[in-house]
Amino acid sequence: MNNSARSEIFARLRHACQSAEAENIQRALPPTDSAPGAPLPSDDLATAFLTNVLKNQGTVECVANRSAAVKALADYVYRHFRSHRLVAGNDANLAAMPWREAGVLPRFGAIEPGEPVALSYALLGIAETGATALQTGKANPAVNNFLSEHHLVLVDSSRLVATMEQAWARIRQEMNKSGRPRGYNFIAGPSSTGDIEGQLVYGAHGPRNWHVILMGDIAATALEDARALAGK
Amino acid sequence: MKQTSDTFLENASAALADSGKSQRRDLLALFSPLMRDAAMGSFGQFEELRDHVRQVRQHSLDHLDHYLAQFEQQAAENGNRVHFASDGDAMNSIVLDICQEHRAQRIAKGKSMVTEETGLNDYLQRAGLSVMETDLGEYIIQQAGETPSHIVGPALHKSAAEVRELFLSRHDLGERDLGEIADLVGEARLVLREHFLKAEVGIIGSNALVAENGYSMLVTNEGNGDLCANLPKVLIICTTLDRILPRLEDATAMLRLLVRSATGQPQTCYTSFYSGPRRELDTDGPLETHIVLLDNRRSEILASDYREMLQCIRCGACLNHCPIYAGVGGHAYGWVYPGPMGSILTPLLTSLEQSTDLPNACTSCGRCGEVCPAGIPLPDLLRDLRHEESERKLSPTRWRWGLKMHAWLARQPRLYHALTAVGIFGMHLLGRRRGRFASLPMAAGWTSQRDFPAPQGKTFMQQYSALQRQQQAAADAGKRGGRSTRRPDPRRPGTRRQDATRKAPAGTGKRAHPGGPRGKKPRRRTGDE
Amino acid sequence: MSNPSKEQTSQRDPLRVSLFVTCLADLFRPSVAFASIRLLEQAGCVVEVPGQQTCCGQPAYNTGDYATSVPLARQLIAQFESADYVVAPSGSCAGMICHHYPTLLEGEWRERARRLAAKTFELTTFLNDIARLKRGDRPAVKLPAVTYHDSCAGLRELGIKQQPRALLRELCDTEVKELRQTEVCCGFGGTFCAKMPEISGKMVGDKLANALATEASILAGGDLGCLLNIAGRASRSGAAIEVRHIAELLCGDLDSPAIGEPERQ
Repeated sequence: MNNSARSEIFARLRHACQSAEAENIQRALPPTDSAPGAPLPSDDLATAFLTNVLKNQGTVECVANRSAAVKALADYVYRHFRSHRLVAGNDANLAAMPWREAGVLPRFGAIEPGEPVALSYALLGIAETGATALQTGKANPAVNNFLSEHHLVLVDSSRLVATMEQAWARIRQEMNKSGRPRGYNFIAGPSSTGDIEGQLVYGAHGPRNWHVILMGDIAATALEDARALAGK
Repeated sequence: MKQTSDTFLENASAALADSGKSQRRDLLALFSPLMRDAAMGSFGQFEELRDHVRQVRQHSLDHLDHYLAQFEQQAAENGNRVHFASDGDAMNSIVLDICQEHRAQRIAKGKSMVTEETGLNDYLQRAGLSVMETDLGEYIIQQAGETPSHIVGPALHKSAAEVRELFLSRHDLGERDLGEIADLVGEARLVLREHFLKAEVGIIGSNALVAENGYSMLVTNEGNGDLCANLPKVLIICTTLDRILPRLEDATAMLRLLVRSATGQPQTCYTSFYSGPRRELDTDGPLETHIVLLDNRRSEILASDYREMLQCIRCGACLNHCPIYAGVGGHAYGWVYPGPMGSILTPLLTSLEQSTDLPNACTSCGRCGEVCPAGIPLPDLLRDLRHEESERKLSPTRWRWGLKMHAWLARQPRLYHALTAVGIFGMHLLGRRRGRFASLPMAAGWTSQRDFPAPQGKTFMQQYSALQRQQQAAADAGKRGGRSTRRPDPRRPGTRRQDATRKAPAGTGKRAHPGGPRGKKPRRRTGDE
Repeated sequence: MSNPSKEQTSQRDPLRVSLFVTCLADLFRPSVAFASIRLLEQAGCVVEVPGQQTCCGQPAYNTGDYATSVPLARQLIAQFESADYVVAPSGSCAGMICHHYPTLLEGEWRERARRLAAKTFELTTFLNDIARLKRGDRPAVKLPAVTYHDSCAGLRELGIKQQPRALLRELCDTEVKELRQTEVCCGFGGTFCAKMPEISGKMVGDKLANALATEASILAGGDLGCLLNIAGRASRSGAAIEVRHIAELLCGDLDSPAIGEPERQ
């Protein structure tokens, strides 16, 4: 029955569609670069990214290197929970962090009920949308993104891109190397809803807090500029 | 879902009588356009992006057979089982079969207008399954036993107080306080978290299907759709053929328009692309994934003159900007899709006979077409549906003949001017004292809501031809007497200037063209045969 | 109005305008047509009014009866196509000609419709953008506070927004007191107001409330359909606001009763 539905549907579509060779169809497709993107709030990529993360109701901090990142993570968790416990996926980048320097040892794996903090290592940060791109898999189980109360995302400044088109170009390269992952989650804010009287409330189903740590060689004024641009 | 579009006027009347809901709709109609405008304003190149996305969408529809086959093949390579459903019942039965195959009892559902269209929840529940809507708005209306009033914010018709009442009656609250809206959200979070963790099957919709690699885009703010897509062991994506786009870039270019048009956000919190079941080394994600592709007359629409309707990206901007939607709300439309897009889709997906009022629930104000991010000529399509009603004699005979008589008369200018002169002067005499009519037998609809202003007196044509005759007579007399003449203006003595040709305005040669047609391609709505 | 005569040729030729009166102005508000003629003449145009004109076919067209509207469209084209310019004191009628005739008609008629569309203008657009009527061209007019209703067809099909405001500023030193949700329909919609009176009543009620909130004493607009609708609602609810066509205001014609008001004794 399913097969007959399939062939009926395709028959109807062929009747309604223009028949053409695949390569002609390909050629007729408008190029992706004719799609304008949103203007960036700053020429500096890091500043633009941070600004949009702030506008997306994320919190941000900038660190110069991995030691500082570990320290910042430890401080964040301690500030909120008076503990140093957090969960992270089996990501080689995270495993290689100097956790001991800050007295933190993450549990590597998928988040379990009762664990409030998850850390992810971003595939990319996208300035246009202020989003962090995460890839599902062993290195970052998707539940870590969605079941934590506080979702912390570490973004290497070398992994910042300006637009979604650039993000896809980078992602395609990786896809060609290691196949298609099950999923990509572009996360741009704490979970929110406006479903009751249009009033915006954070923490609908997923994390109530989304904290982005941008790591690397970042202009000293980037964070300050971003706060000014975002009005935060 | 039971359709009540045929009683649109009664539904609308009841909706207008509910002042609390009416006020909430007014507020939404005031603020949603402001949010959308602000988002588009800061984006800047709305028209360029709309053009690009429209071209891509049109291209995808022109070659939908090609892209659908490509998507099917890629999705299958990714490990999905792809199903085709000709109509709603077929989709429902495919979904039920999958659930039963896994002996699933608990279903967690993300927001999906397609499954509202097919009535999936009822179908599964009748088979004894427990289906839980997890989008907050959908959860609220499911608990209340209602249907969505808006395609983006399904429960926007309900006040916080109503939601509070609902939760108090449905949940075992214990000590929990529901004073604020945030508390209500927290309450739903707590209750639904359990369901996510227990559900055996997750069902979600899709905002775009990417042909090149079989990924499916899911856009939410709450993250509930992602929980449905990631926690249960089986995932079913229920969607339609027309969601297909060629490339990843096309999905995110469309997304730029979608979120700004829908909620005024520059970006939704969660935008996900899922390709299929968990991979070999993955530690989470569904073990089995299905994609059910519903046609339900979309292939017929593709072959029809309403093809552009398939470009719809379900943002809800036309609802938010439609004064009729604002007036009567979504439920009055009597089916799944309300507002301008619903007034087109409902007749196309159900039948025009069942929904004759919907295409008429339109003042041709054009605001929906102006804001539509997909560039769908909604006012034209609505008028085309009225055309079909007229052709198929579905519109009231009184109206059809009234307009034909009027047109016939207007084609006999002398008779028209003579009859209108008599009729209008009569009306003038009857109405001059008050300046208006509180009721007119021929215009009861009009006078039920407002007075009918009385005509000023004689018709313009009557007065003007009298003036011309006077002028001619004066000119003839002038010729005989050798005097120059000036045409009198009895209404405004002494204000006319004699030197009407005193100057020719500057810029005569380079006219701006606010009046010209905007290069629109002629469509089917030609009546010239 | 005056027949273009040979001796009237100055250094630059005057613009020759054919006025499409529109059926609503013809029947219910002739003063709008007279005011339009006067304004056009003040702007230096020579105005003629084709005597056989009736209706542009919009009512049938909007209800989807395309076949019935076609002969009316052809009739109007034949009556007006010899004009240099066609001007109508209505955004919706001008929009019908400019925007819809070329898609409604086919073949040779479509070409003729396109040519007509290219020289057809709504009144305020023509006065402001083409004829460039300026304050020195005519006696000054003083107005009480005015708010303006943007009619949908004019606004969206023809982009009429600044023109009436610019003319009020230029000719009457008047800044429009903008009403909230000014771009939202008043609920007239041709046959809509009679087919769906309750919804239309809600819409015009909202429009009137927004107009009253501006505390203007006059609501002006460029389309009689909307104005009859709003005036009828205002008089029904006893609201103290005059409703007038923009042409009358620009002429300073405040003596005749406003729309829906009784004749003055």
